[in-house]
Formats: sequence, structure tokens, C-alpha cells
Amino acid sequence: MASFAAACRVSARLATRRLQQDVTAKSFRTSAAALAAQNFTMPALSPTMTEGNIASWKIKEGEKFQAGDVLLEIETDKATMDVEAQEDGIMMKIMHGDGSKSVQVGTRIAVVAEEGDDISALEIPAGEVSAQPAKAAEAPDTHTPAPPNPSEPAEPPKSDATPKAAVKPGHRTSNRTYPLYPSVEHLIKVNGLDKSEVQQITPTGPNGRLLKGDVLAYLGKINADIPAKVESRFEKQSHLDLSNIKVAAAKPAPVEKSAKEAAPAPPPAPVKATVALPVSLSAVIQAQKKINDSLGIFLPLSTFIARATDLANDELPAPKGYQPTADELFNQVLGVDRVRGEAKVSRGAYIPQVGSLSPPGAVLPKPAAASGKKKKDIFDILAASPSPKPKATASKLSPGLSAVGPNVFSLQVPKDEEKRAKVFLERVKLVLENEPGRLVL
Amino acid sequence: MLSQKLLGRTAVRSAFKPSGSSPIVLASRWSRTYATQSEEKDLVIIGGGVAGYVAAIKAGQEGMKVACIEKRGTLGGTCLNVGCIPSKSLLNNSHLYHQILHDTKHRGIEVGDVKLNLQQLMKAKDTSVNGLTKGVEFLLKKNGVEYIKGTGSFQDEHTIKVELNDGGETSVTGKNILIATGSEVTPFPGLTIDEKTVISSTGAIALEKVPEKLVVIGGGIIGLEMASVWSRLGSKVTVVEYLDQIGGPGMDTEVAKGIQKILKKQGINFKTGTKVLSGEKTGEEVKVQVEAAKGGKEETLDADVVLVAIGRRPYTGGLGLENIGLEVDERGRVIIDSEYRTKIPHIRCVGDATFGPMLAHKAEEEAVAVVEYIKKGYGHVNYGCIPSVMYTFPEVAWVGQSEQDLKKADIPYRVGTFPFSANSRAKTNLDTEGFVKILADPETDRLLGIHIIGPNAGEMIAEGTLALEYGASSEDIARTCHAHPTLSEAFKEAAMATHAKAIHF
Repeated sequence: MASFAAACRVSARLATRRLQQDVTAKSFRTSAAALAAQNFTMPALSPTMTEGNIASWKIKEGEKFQAGDVLLEIETDKATMDVEAQEDGIMMKIMHGDGSKSVQVGTRIAVVAEEGDDISALEIPAGEVSAQPAKAAEAPDTHTPAPPNPSEPAEPPKSDATPKAAVKPGHRTSNRTYPLYPSVEHLIKVNGLDKSEVQQITPTGPNGRLLKGDVLAYLGKINADIPAKVESRFEKQSHLDLSNIKVAAAKPAPVEKSAKEAAPAPPPAPVKATVALPVSLSAVIQAQKKINDSLGIFLPLSTFIARATDLANDELPAPKGYQPTADELFNQVLGVDRVRGEAKVSRGAYIPQVGSLSPPGAVLPKPAAASGKKKKDIFDILAASPSPKPKATASKLSPGLSAVGPNVFSLQVPKDEEKRAKVFLERVKLVLENEPGRLVL
Repeated sequence: MLSQKLLGRTAVRSAFKPSGSSPIVLASRWSRTYATQSEEKDLVIIGGGVAGYVAAIKAGQEGMKVACIEKRGTLGGTCLNVGCIPSKSLLNNSHLYHQILHDTKHRGIEVGDVKLNLQQLMKAKDTSVNGLTKGVEFLLKKNGVEYIKGTGSFQDEHTIKVELNDGGETSVTGKNILIATGSEVTPFPGLTIDEKTVISSTGAIALEKVPEKLVVIGGGIIGLEMASVWSRLGSKVTVVEYLDQIGGPGMDTEVAKGIQKILKKQGINFKTGTKVLSGEKTGEEVKVQVEAAKGGKEETLDADVVLVAIGRRPYTGGLGLENIGLEVDERGRVIIDSEYRTKIPHIRCVGDATFGPMLAHKAEEEAVAVVEYIKKGYGHVNYGCIPSVMYTFPEVAWVGQSEQDLKKADIPYRVGTFPFSANSRAKTNLDTEGFVKILADPETDRLLGIHIIGPNAGEMIAEGTLALEYGASSEDIARTCHAHPTLSEAFKEAAMATHAKAIHF
């Protein structure tokens, strides 16, 4: 309920409106300060509201209030809502006290003055302004959400009605927007404390929360200073004890030594291997031409190669000593996926280096099928002689693609991934030389 | 989506079992190769343990550029690799074994030949550990943290030199640096840990066979958990503790006595108030000389394996603190202020390497707080509200102050207890050992401490921690509805017993 009321909190915008309307009265007064006494009328908290009950005044006569303070609580048939002050001021006189029933919207319910005014010197403005039809037009204004205020420190209301409360000056008795603890709620109900009294209890709990002990102290059932004492003990315990630090005398030489001894010798850098395979792009170029002729779209060679690469990276045989990746294990933890390591395949991330052989007729371990158009069996490729001497090709390689001659696709990989890389290159070759058209269509 | 379309048309793809990744992905893969070498980081973290990796993730989430240096090769530090996690695997599975062997029969479950396969037990543990450490690695990646596998040391106030595990050397610079190097086992003078016959907690979770006789030096939480594991698996275990109570100094005396009685019934021998004089390895055996701490006759304990579990100490070796003039205290803890700053303000330290209890969850709290200090200027850890749990069976858990703490500080208190033997769920489970004990201020009724021995006490303590954090009174707990029939009702009844009277006892 409390939180609902907070959500419904409406600023008493009407109050300020009324203040302005009453400005006309100002010129008739003699005292300079007297300008400020204003009528405060029953606000309409919803477009349909015509009357409401005043549950309680949070600000008593003679008390100061600040913009954002809750002035009073109004009950309607729908909800209980707080009315906040729009400006700073002093409550001069309350016309309709706590518990007033069925107060019409627009009825004068209080008189307020500006801060610093001498209340005793002020005169109460003449009679109440009758409910005006204008109120309907103003009503929608009340829907604008009030600024969040609970964080702002409110002056503890000085009330002579509660001498037992040990209200520390400056200590915050905030508007509590959270539900009260069960023990607190219980004590309040059992002892018949009303909301205004609850507001006056000094909270000692974390973040200004009201605790059972606070209520007990307020009720005089325990010594008033005990909750604060307990709180200060908790406060002390909540920090690391960094007092009495004794700095180590000598530098920790032995520790360092043992750590150095323990440091393992750096393992040898992983051996790199180069894998290369010549690939004829003639089929690709034909496909490219065909697409250009029939569809009028020119696709660069790099598109073909990129797609072939992507395809060939799928489910490569796992390298020796393959560890499942974090993602795979995480998926396994979640039960989404099997660890790929079991299936001995994983996705590769190879990107081949492509170089062309400058002399088209260079002697290369050219696969027999490279020039021919006949369908090739994958086993021919798989059984083909291993890596075609990277050194020999390297010397004649020039970076970039050659549309005419065979191109060499090469990869630099760790030694134990050699086989995996080879499979990858063979797949690239297979795709590019056989049905490149399908890569892009 | 595009790949789905491709899939339909591309027959070639089917040859390689398509996985549905789109060619567009490729573009990003190309660009990755051209990534430039690392620039200055917002935060460089030395250590990928609980403190380090949590700080790394948190900082990543806060949009900071982070590097995390870890030399172990796997993340998670002591906790995940050789501490909390593997020991819990062994504790859980050894309990199951022990229960089948000794307990299920009178519950009406007769199991034939029960055999222990220690290798498989260890494998199950390794699987858990592996999955979790990789999970952490994934989380670092997800939050954009650069994970550097290597040994970091201070070159200067902003630069960390890293000797990479794969060979070679690199260095990272950071606007802020966080020391999260953790702790190591405190060795016992005169006994060299070889992890075979004289072991630390690390060796105790990886023994190749069940030792016939195990002597545990140190009756703290680690010692008692390991004693439980090997005792359940068949070892004859003797725990030697210098203090008069087991469980370490933080445990409530009444609780310590209670759990000692229960563990003794389970077959663990205790020698409290006993000093270890020396140990001697003779072939396969170790002889441990002990005597009563307050003087008394000497005694020799024979053991196949001796576990040294006398505590842990901060680990800052090889970090090069001396290169930048950082100091540690007499117990090796990095000296910090209340915002975890060392005397060089942009270098901070959290976790086991500095002050406070050596607990993973404390390190985790600090890791978040320190990142918040760096990013937002304020962070918070409530040191008065850090729970402790011992995972024996039944478990022991506590939060806040113990009865002896309060007595010593001359703080008045009120006690409420409730035994599990009066709890319906515990009765039906036939696990009725233990009790809940609540300490509260006699006048305000505010909770001061909560101590539990009981099945799942480690889970139940969460309620107590929350209550303590909110400054609740025992009445607040008692007025909160607890489901029936659950063990948590014992918690509620203990709260009732504190400010009024328990209903069921």
C-alpha cells in the first residue's frame, strides 16, 4: 500500500495555481511580508475527482516545509495519495484537519505563507474562493509525475506531541517507501501509532531502515540510545580492520627466490608449417562470366574465394591435442550442444593466402585434373602427394590473384594442424574448381 | 538467414555438413587478422582467480578495456582448480558412496556389491572443474576481456611485464592495476610437501589411492572437509588441532563441539589442544610426533599420508612489488586502504592477497566493489555479513558474530536454538543431526549472529545473511512465512525461540 501511495504521489500543483490566482489580493495589504499568505485549496488528484477525505496532515500549523515535502495525505474512493509542496513555505493555518470527510475540490483547506514571513503578523486572506469551474481544466496537470523525492533530506518535523522520540537534529526521518519489516508493522499496529508518529521515529537500520529496536525505543520500552549503540557496533564491523598494520620489516627475498625457482623454463615456440595447394580458377572465371552474361551482375573473384573458404572451414578434422573451446564447453554445461571434441571435428578459422604464379607455364605439381574438365573424385585429391613444396612456389609467387594461371593457396599453421589445414585447402580447391557457380547462386 | 537460403541450393555444402554460419561472418574474421597490438588498458588485473576474473568481467561490463593475466593456464584460481570446487565434487560423491555403504539399508534400499572406483571419482571431479574453468574463459571473452596466459610482474607503476606461458614475453600498460594474486598453502616447518605422502589441500584432492592411515594437521575447514572425504572412502583419519576447538577460530564454540561429536561418530579421530612437534618420512610411511599443547607426554602417529592444512598465506612472490616500492605487512598481506588502494593510488589489491577472511565469496564481493571504486568512486562490501560454510555432513554454516565473540567484547545477547530433531522434514529425511542457533540483541532483538549445523546449512545460511544485511530482528524472521515441511522451518522456529518461544519444541 505504501508503495502504491508513493507511485500515486501527486504534486500539489494546484496549490501554486491558486497562489497565483490570489495574487490580486496582495495589493490590498500593508505589510510587505504579508504579501505571501495564500489559500491552499483541495486539489483534484484525478480528472474525475470531485471530493476527498483528508487522511492526515504531515505538516502541522506553524511548521516549515520545503518543495517536495509531503504536506498531507488525501483519501479518495480509489486510493490514498500524498500531496507534495511545490515551493518552500510555512503552514499558517489548517482549515480542515485530519480526518475531514468529503472535502470538495477547490475548498480552502489551509493557508500557507512564504518562508521567513512572520506568521503572527499575517492576516488570513479573505474568505474562501468558491470552487471554480476552472478546476476541470487544471485537473490534467495533476497527472504530471512528481519528481522523485525520497532521497532528499526532509527537516524533521518538530512536534511537541512526541516528547519521547529521541530525534537527533539533522537525522533523517525519510519518507519510507518500502514495506515496513514485519516486526515493525506489528508493533505499530499493536501500539496504535499513526503514520505521522511513525515518521518521527529515528531509523538506525541499513540505509535508514526502520527497525524493531527503533520502534521499541520510541515507545520507551527500551533505553532510547540502545538502537544507535547497536548500529554503531555494526557499522564498525562492516569495515575491514586496517588499524595496527605492521609493515613487514625486510623485503621478502626468500619468497621471491622460491618463486623464481618455481618458474618453469619457457617451452619452445611452436613449430610452424606451411601448407600450400595450387588451385585453378578457370572454372570460377567461367562461372563469373556466365553470371555476368545472364544476370548482368559482376561478382569479384574474392567473393567466390571467401565463400569457398567459409564452406571449407566447416567441421574440419580436429587438430592433435584439440581442446574444446570455451563456447563449446559452455554450451555443454547448458546442455545445448555436444562437445565437438568427441566427434573429432571443429570449425576452422583459416584464411588462405593467395598468390599467383607469374609464369603461367611454370613447372608445378599441378593436379592432373586442373586443366581437364572431367569430374574429379575427391579421393584423387585426398590421395595426392603431400604439400607441394612451399619453397619452390614461394620464390615465384606474386601476391594477388591471377585470372590466367593457377593460383597457389597457402596457409601458415602450427605443426600439429598441418593435416587439418591440408583438408581445408583441398576442400577450397574442390569447391572452386568444380562448381563455383553454386557458391554464389 | 542468408545461409539458410544457401543451404537449400548449395549441394556442395551438404558434403561438409553445414553448420549454418553465414558467409558474412567471414568479413569479421578477415578484419581480426589486422587487429593492432594492444593499447593502454583501463584496467590490468594480475591473477585470474575469483577476485581477478570477477573484476575483469565486471570491468568489461562497465565498458572498460581490460586485460587479465593468469599463469595457471586455466582461470578460476585456487577455488575452481584446486579448492572449493573440486573438493565439493569429492565431498558430494564420497558422501553418496558412504551413504550407500552404511545408510541406505535401513532406509529400505539394499544395494549389492558397492565398489569404489577412485579413478572415476577423480574424473568426475575433473569434468566439473574443466567445465567451470572453460565457462569462466567464455565469460571473459563475452565481456571483451583480453586474457593473457603468463606470469605478470611489475616493471614500473603502469607497466606489467608478462612472461608468456607459450614462451616469449610481452608487456601491458594500464591506467589502473589490480593485484589479485591470491594465496598459497602455508607449509609446515620441517615437513616438505611432496604431494604424495606429505600433501597439501592440492594433493588431497588428487590422491591415487585411498591411504590406510591419514593424519591431518590442522582442524580447520579445509582439514575437516578432506578428513571427511578420505574417512568416507575408507581411511583411518586422525585430525590434530592445536587449538582446543575444531573448525577454526571463527566457528561458534557450541557449534564446534557439536560437529566434533558428529564427525567423531562418523569415525574421525580428533586430537585437539595438541601440538605437532615434527614429522619424519621413512620410506612409504610418515611418523608425526605430537604432544599436548599445554605440555604433556609425547606421542607418535603413524600415517601413510600426512595432510598439512594449517592455513593459507598471501601469495605475491615474483610479482615485483619491490620494483615499485609496495609494502606488505608482517603476514605478507598487501597493504591497502579502505578503498583497496595501495600507497600508489592507481594500484589496488583485493582477495586473499590482502586483508580479511580468505574466502572466495569475499574476494568476489571485493572485486565488484573495487571496479565500482575505480569507475564510480564508491563501492561497498559489508564485512560484518560474510557467511562461512564447512561442507562436511552435516554442513556447518554461520554468519555474524559467535557467542564467544560477543562474550569477549562484553556485548549482551540472547540465544534461541532449535534442533533439527524437532523438524518434520529432517525427521522424514532421517537426517536429524544439528541445530539452528540465533544470537540477537536482548533489547532491540536485532540479529547478531546465526550458526547452523545441519543438512544443507550452507544454503540455509543465505536467509540469515540476508536478514543480517537488512538489520532484521529475530521477530522479523519469525513473522516471515516458511514453507512446510522444510528444513527452513527450523530456522524460523529458532528465531521464535530467540524473542519468544518455539512452537514445536
